Amino acid sequence: MDIFLVEAIINGILLGGVLALLALGLNLIFGVIDVVWIAYADIVMCGMYVIYVLYTHYDVPLLFACLAGIAGMAAFGVAVHLLIIAPVLNSAPINQLLATGGLLFFLQSFATLLFGTDFRNIGVRLPVVEVASIYISFARLIAFLFGLIGAVALYLFLKRTYIGTAIRAVAQDRDIVGLMGIDQRRIYLATSAIGGALAGLAACLLVLQYDVHPFIGNTFGPVIFMICVLGGLGNMIGGFVASFIISQIIAIGGYYSNTELSYVLAFTMFIILMFVRPRGLFAR
Amino acid sequence: MKTSRRTLLKNSVAAAAALSLDWRRARAQSETVRIGVVYDLSGPFAAGGSVASAVGTQIAIDLCNEKGGVAGKYKVVPVKADSQSKADVAINEVERLINQEKVDIIDGIYSSAHAVPLAAKVEEQKKILWITTAVATAVFKDRNLKYVFRAQIHSDQYGEAFAAFLTEHAKQKLGVEPKEVKVAIIHEDGPYGAGVAAADEAYSKKAGLPIVLKEGYSAAAPDLSSLVTKLKRARPDIISHIGYNPDITLFLRQAREGGLRFKMLFGAGAGYSQLDKLRATFGKDIDDFCNIDPVPAQLLDPKKLAPGLGELITLMVERYKAATKANDVPPHCSMGFNQTWILLNHVLPLAKEKYGGFDPEAVRKAALDVDIPPGGTIQGYGVKFFPPGTPLSGQNARSTPVVMQNAGEHIAVVWPTNIRTQEPVLPLPKSSVYAL
Repeated sequence: MDIFLVEAIINGILLGGVLALLALGLNLIFGVIDVVWIAYADIVMCGMYVIYVLYTHYDVPLLFACLAGIAGMAAFGVAVHLLIIAPVLNSAPINQLLATGGLLFFLQSFATLLFGTDFRNIGVRLPVVEVASIYISFARLIAFLFGLIGAVALYLFLKRTYIGTAIRAVAQDRDIVGLMGIDQRRIYLATSAIGGALAGLAACLLVLQYDVHPFIGNTFGPVIFMICVLGGLGNMIGGFVASFIISQIIAIGGYYSNTELSYVLAFTMFIILMFVRPRGLFAR
Repeated sequence: MKTSRRTLLKNSVAAAAALSLDWRRARAQSETVRIGVVYDLSGPFAAGGSVASAVGTQIAIDLCNEKGGVAGKYKVVPVKADSQSKADVAINEVERLINQEKVDIIDGIYSSAHAVPLAAKVEEQKKILWITTAVATAVFKDRNLKYVFRAQIHSDQYGEAFAAFLTEHAKQKLGVEPKEVKVAIIHEDGPYGAGVAAADEAYSKKAGLPIVLKEGYSAAAPDLSSLVTKLKRARPDIISHIGYNPDITLFLRQAREGGLRFKMLFGAGAGYSQLDKLRATFGKDIDDFCNIDPVPAQLLDPKKLAPGLGELITLMVERYKAATKANDVPPHCSMGFNQTWILLNHVLPLAKEKYGGFDPEAVRKAALDVDIPPGGTIQGYGVKFFPPGTPLSGQNARSTPVVMQNAGEHIAVVWPTNIRTQEPVLPLPKSSVYAL
């Protein structure tokens, strides 16, 4: 087998892990609260800045900077829910979309104001794993593994804990859960915190691979939305599988045709699948 | 004394004439030149050189105003706009400057993707578009523009310099004939990347350099690892990379992690000219990389330039460093400064003196009259615009690029050979993480 093709496939799998992690939080929030956080990738950007500042300006060890990034984004997720989502929770979807869209511009502009437009990075260089002339980025490997761990942990949390069960109950029928003694408001806050923490986790993994700048959300935002819609908005398993479908189209398509065309292929495939299954591949 | 009707009429005319004279004088003293200045001050292009160009432009305006303004009399008032790294915003902002701010001259424009539609838009409205930084040849090629000017180099010249440098040094430095030097060209897919890549391809073919891969990608792509894999498969000796940022840092990082090796990498300005920022990310990894772009003025020997330009360069460098706290002054500062300086000090005074004002027609005629010999601007080249009716109407016929090489924290000029400040290092030394 062509060794370069194997490398392209492995790179696709690793990219899929990163995208899956990003899609996970967004799907969770949509599935439960029924609001699309357009600014989700920009919350990841905020997490990256938190880690960058703590690590490079305050010499906080990277592990603690990452933990602070996760905790900070969990708190930020709660704040976003209380300040932006809760007031428009019962409004028309377009109003909710505009509110989170406004947050996107606010976060980008605020980051520009605070940090300028420069590209910054934490300067950590992780080793490269070489197996049979195939090079695998350790940073990507870690991101992939944490993506998997994050997905499994979330699955277990949702299946095995009371809050997880309550979150699933709200996702299934938000009108009836009140009768079962579930405090919807608490569940929304918990979901926003978990969604924010997942954005923080994604930030930890992306900061090892990408420069931080106020517009990095634009790099991932459209692809993540495509993945979530493809998997069925709110369907976490669907989003997970869709991440790998899209990443493999990008990787293998790019290898056989060209990089530009691979994204065209991915979007074309997305449009075709939307015709075939308008509610997403895994919609019930 | 009784005043006759004739005397009254005479006195009235005299008074009116005197008043009118005073009014005209007062008007001359207070007359200003309002210029729209458009750059990407936010979005990904900002850190890719657009802000540096904007700072250079502002320094030129400040220096002009400090000596009294255009021709020592007419203060320059910049009306600034942020095109946010988006073509639609650039178009809307220029529309606003022209229609609401009533500005006749637009100065700036970093991205070729913005310059291409803007050139058509401004030309249609018969206003002046004075491009400082965007380099795509496509902005001018076969469009017979009359109101759009660019003293800057154009993208075809990047390809010319790339192929000429390799042809000149292949045998001596790489020990092989040019026809054995395998070249790969990768580029962002906007007019800038596509334009320079097409020129690289055309001139490489002309010089007999075999091209083993030519591929475009979106500057916003989240992953370039399959491109790295394909480059490894193609095994080029030389890579020409035409990108903005953050695609440049993404590619270099994934290239290092993917084990891509080569003998030399050529950048084509944009992110590759932001040495401070690249070094902050990659440290010594980018040492000895080549970069083709207009020369940063401070690298030229001031003795070879017209009198006074050496001092001007020193002032520009001092002010840029004071404004940005940067160690390195990128070529983009020189681009913004130089083009604006040419407009304010060579074109506009002529427009006023010879053609009676700063209206687009006067500025257009004055621009076509400008004739600056080589050595007459801070970037070394002269200025003579191609006239209407020629394939590159509005483009400077005397602009020239240079090949630079990262030498530690500074940049050295390595081509053209007659003005080089350092012998080129080729291939990359074995100590480089990218060395073949």
